[in-house]
Amino acid sequence: MKNESALAQVRDIYENRASWAKELSRGRMLIGYLCHFAPPEIISAAGMIPYRITGQLGDDIVEANRYIEPYGCPYVRNCFEQSLKGRLDFLEGRVIPHSCDMVQRIYGIWKYYNKPNYSYLFNVPHQVSPWSLDFFERELTFFKESLEKLAGHKISEEQLAAAIEVSNKNRRLIRELYDLRKKQPPKISGTEMLQVLLAGSCLPAEEYNELLEKVKEEATARKEDGKQLPTILVWGCIIDDIKFFDIIEQAGAYVVCDDLCIGTRTVLEEIDTTKGIMRGLTNTYLRDFRCPRTDHGPSVERFSYLLDLVREFGVQGVIGYALAFCDPHKLDYPDLRDYLGMHGIPMLLINDDYTLGNVETIKNRVQAFLEMLQ
Amino acid sequence: MGYVAGLDSGSTSTKLVVMKDGKIEGFYVVPTGGNSLKSAQMVFEQWSAKTGKTEDDLKSLVATGYGRENIRLARKTVSEISCHAKGVHWLFPACRLIIDIGGQDFKVIKLDNEGRVINFAMNDKCAAGTGRYLELMANVFQMSLEKFSLAAETATGSVEITSVCTVFAETEVINHISWGTAEKEIVAGIFNAVARRVYSLAKQHLAGDKEIVFTGGVAKNKGMAGALSKIMGCEVKVSFNPQITGALGAAIYACEINGGQ
Repeated sequence: MKNESALAQVRDIYENRASWAKELSRGRMLIGYLCHFAPPEIISAAGMIPYRITGQLGDDIVEANRYIEPYGCPYVRNCFEQSLKGRLDFLEGRVIPHSCDMVQRIYGIWKYYNKPNYSYLFNVPHQVSPWSLDFFERELTFFKESLEKLAGHKISEEQLAAAIEVSNKNRRLIRELYDLRKKQPPKISGTEMLQVLLAGSCLPAEEYNELLEKVKEEATARKEDGKQLPTILVWGCIIDDIKFFDIIEQAGAYVVCDDLCIGTRTVLEEIDTTKGIMRGLTNTYLRDFRCPRTDHGPSVERFSYLLDLVREFGVQGVIGYALAFCDPHKLDYPDLRDYLGMHGIPMLLINDDYTLGNVETIKNRVQAFLEMLQ
Repeated sequence: MGYVAGLDSGSTSTKLVVMKDGKIEGFYVVPTGGNSLKSAQMVFEQWSAKTGKTEDDLKSLVATGYGRENIRLARKTVSEISCHAKGVHWLFPACRLIIDIGGQDFKVIKLDNEGRVINFAMNDKCAAGTGRYLELMANVFQMSLEKFSLAAETATGSVEITSVCTVFAETEVINHISWGTAEKEIVAGIFNAVARRVYSLAKQHLAGDKEIVFTGGVAKNKGMAGALSKIMGCEVKVSFNPQITGALGAAIYACEINGGQ
């Protein structure tokens, strides 16, 4: 890697994820995954490189509209568009989970119109019960066997354990970077942190650890400028572009924490393998993964983990990001807003169609919300 | 003692309110058109032409509205939501709920007893129920906005406009015209449809409010004020010039920056 500041390098990787992935794969197969249910650790253990498929915010949708109706999720449509435009051709295969119905449906459409060498639909239960955890654990084994076929060799327990160990180091380092945001002013901004996480979505886990170490060192050494601003937690649908965080931070706030799938929902806690490797992955990727596509019961106490984050990071207000047609998030919103309200934390919801084209209107709301907090 | 001012660079019009010694010294309104910077200059020129003063005579200026970031001279920018709250609280200290209907959006703003915003809700993207929607409808009837605002005064009934989409609602209106429905009843239907949309947004924030204030350019429309009063179940108050409330709020912020002068 080039000799420049770690965060400048992060920015470069964030902006050129595909070319970095290609360069660092060194001939190993790159397997794309959509959503975060099929554990990338299993892909790593197979000697392949997991690559998180993302969209391109605001991209002009030309091809995908031929295959997806106007009421389809704009995010999934955008990811599919990237593939139809040939921007994901470097991937050997794709793993798509049944995270939500749109993602599950795109599996078939995508496979039919744009077939990779390897394509796998990963089954994910929608409720958490002892039986669904057992079910998920078995699905993990099926997924592993499917990758073994592709790789042409078995994936050993040791290989899995080694991949998880590297991933856990990623997680520990990310946790340490999050910890730098607990004190005002945070040593790493929300926009920077999101870039760090997205850089991790395309790098081999070992290289990512080196980068995280460098970022930690650089951020810790920063001098504080002492500016006090409102502290925000961002909740909502997938955010894989820094523009939304940028709008909030430019309006005069610190994004100090999040409840997002590229964020605390997936990478803050280590995978605990004391009850077995597959059980550890099951707990991390099904039981503890707080995407509202999984039913966590009707009680508003299902949001208590979010309140814990609010308290831990000293959050003053929550800003939500909801994509058009994302029923799981939108149906959770009224309960969440009221629950946070009960605990004195105001919440603002921004609706978008994965373009953030309406920048001025969004800025206006965000600014008014921040003025309300001061 | 000096002049302070608030500039509201809105989507449809640009408003300037100049204050001196805690009183409104004058206000000026020009259409925003395609250039928010130029219309801001124009509104200052109007002030200069009338009083001989220039921007240099201002102790402080606060900008609000969609074009607020472009106003070079502004000491500070404040969102129009906070500005409307400030302006209304100055005019109507007992008010706790504001309905603001502007050119491209409408808002419901809830205040505490010091005029601070405690919550707000806004329509999303679509123009239904905004000033633009009413302009389009007035156009269908080939009426000026003034004439349109009074066109439902003598209506005894009103038609139902059910579509929330501006374009589809226009089609509904044209249907009624072709069926020969009385013009005033169609216009009354249009006002009621907008009032219903605003009410559905305001409903969760209503708490037995006795004093609701209606601001923004659309508050100049008497028919709309009447339709809102009916649906809200109390008299909706309108200030002497509702269009300038945001700029007035900005001017009061400017006043505060200047140490209350």
